[in-house]
Amino acid sequence: MTPQLDVRALQVSFGGPPNTHLGLRDVTFSVNGGDCLAVLGSSGAGKSSLLRTLAGLQPSVAGGIFASGKNVTALPAERRDVVYLHQAPVLFPHLDVRDNVAFPLMLRGVPRIAARRRALEWLQRLQVADVARNRVDALSGGQRHRVALARALCAEPAVLLLDEPLASLDPAVRRDVRSALLDARAASGAAMVLVTHDLDDALSVATHIAAIGGGRVTAPATPQLLLATPPDAATARLLGIFSEVSGIIARGQEGAVFQWVGGTIPAGDLAAGEGVAFLRASDVHLAAADAADAAALTVIARHDSAHDMSLTLLGAIGTIAQTVTLRAMLGAHANVGDVVYATLSNARLYPTQG
Amino acid sequence: MMRRDGLLRTTLGVTLMLVIVAPLLMLIATSVSHAWFYPRVAPASIDAVAWVELLAAGAHRDALVNSLVLGISTAVVATALALPLGRAAALGPRVARRAIALLAFAAVALPPVALGVGLQLSVLSLGLGGTLAGVLLSHLVPALGYLTLVFLGVFTRWDRRVDEAAATLGANGIARWRLVLLPLLRRPIAEALALGFLVSWAQVALTLLVGGGAVRTLPLDVLAMLQAGQDQRAAAGALALTIPALIVLGVSRSAARNTPAVVA
Repeated sequence: MTPQLDVRALQVSFGGPPNTHLGLRDVTFSVNGGDCLAVLGSSGAGKSSLLRTLAGLQPSVAGGIFASGKNVTALPAERRDVVYLHQAPVLFPHLDVRDNVAFPLMLRGVPRIAARRRALEWLQRLQVADVARNRVDALSGGQRHRVALARALCAEPAVLLLDEPLASLDPAVRRDVRSALLDARAASGAAMVLVTHDLDDALSVATHIAAIGGGRVTAPATPQLLLATPPDAATARLLGIFSEVSGIIARGQEGAVFQWVGGTIPAGDLAAGEGVAFLRASDVHLAAADAADAAALTVIARHDSAHDMSLTLLGAIGTIAQTVTLRAMLGAHANVGDVVYATLSNARLYPTQG
Repeated sequence: MMRRDGLLRTTLGVTLMLVIVAPLLMLIATSVSHAWFYPRVAPASIDAVAWVELLAAGAHRDALVNSLVLGISTAVVATALALPLGRAAALGPRVARRAIALLAFAAVALPPVALGVGLQLSVLSLGLGGTLAGVLLSHLVPALGYLTLVFLGVFTRWDRRVDEAAATLGANGIARWRLVLLPLLRRPIAEALALGFLVSWAQVALTLLVGGGAVRTLPLDVLAMLQAGQDQRAAAGALALTIPALIVLGVSRSAARNTPAVVA
């Protein structure tokens, strides 16, 4: 099956003239119709530049963009069949809600009555038909997002690009817009690409997730796969859900081991050198009694949150004292001053240079 | 503090009255006063002779027609040119912005006589000296300057995302102008048309220099009456000049009403 959006070895520039510089290299991914790819990255990673390049709002340096199998790399924005939604919805203030949504159909010469009827259908699907005759400046934040989505979907694009649609929204509107995005995904056959810096947003809407950072975009993976085995340390760090533990990877007779202040764990076939382990709270097991391959650690600080707790632990490698901060499940017996032994499971290990 | 603000407002209001309303009242009084010379406190008699003569068929018809043709043409042509120029200046490369802004400022800031002499020579070389077309060209220069600066201001604050949204929804350049930009620019366009008309309507120096007296306009007729010592008629003419200006301003404000502003 031909993917609805196919991006091949794309190079994207950052900034405008005269300060343009190459930002993203060799961006390659594809998205099928009905799927949603979330591109997860921190501020300044190039998320918006990537989307604007895909939309034709800024030129690409090299590479190819294919929408429904057609090479659109050199086409102007209006001929790409790619709709771009800005972070803050941009509605046309001189048109009412219904005519905003009917706008892309009217462009194609659809008679006004038919276009308005179709617009109303999309407004109904996105649950904002009751404001169809309203002025756009009378809409709430959530309604604006829904109307902008309805307008984008009314254009029936091959690709729908969403630039941080959930950023800067208060919790109630955020829930509403998330739900609208799910409605849109269900109602549309478009390939959707959403950029965000928030893993929860990505998980709530996307079928696949890729990470962006350091001038590259990782290969898309399902959310489950990405969380289980992030492709590299940078991506794992970006996900923001792991504790990070530094250590040494040493080669022994029975393979490599990762040595950290709290003990050792098997390291598979990693090469010797400095390494880092990423752990979720559920991967950290604390015990008051000595455990195999575990060294004594003293709890020197504890901060509880709604989901887990953060522990600062003091231990020693040889004669050198070292602290480490781990997240652990709530309920584990670890108060300040306690001596605990930590064993780790499912550690995602990476060489430091990776 | 509030009392001080009130005093300031009152002072400014009175100053405004003195600067704008008082001369108008003086004009009205003069236009209906006969033989009102210093040190008389009141005119010897009151009559409407000046108004009757002014409104008499044919007395100033040519001048009125010329003024209207020049005003409307200047407004339309200058607006049509200034709109894309202002947009290019605001949204284009820095070099284009600086060049266009500099030219627009020059057209506005140059002394009218200096500008007039330069334009007279240019228009003469085109063989348009003393013609309505030549005078129109000369009026276009300051009008274009003013209006380009108006649209430069409009587009400097313009929300470019509106164009982008329309483009990715499938609107090409013409459709964007027709369906999005022009409807949203109704207010500044109406104001620009009014300003363009008024720049031409009140123009004296350029009309005189480039028209060489062969092209009569209402301001020139009023000037001629003033020079001839016909104060009563000149006052009536000056008042008549303000009427179309007020109508144009009123119409432009009405057209602009309820037009949403699109700024970033």
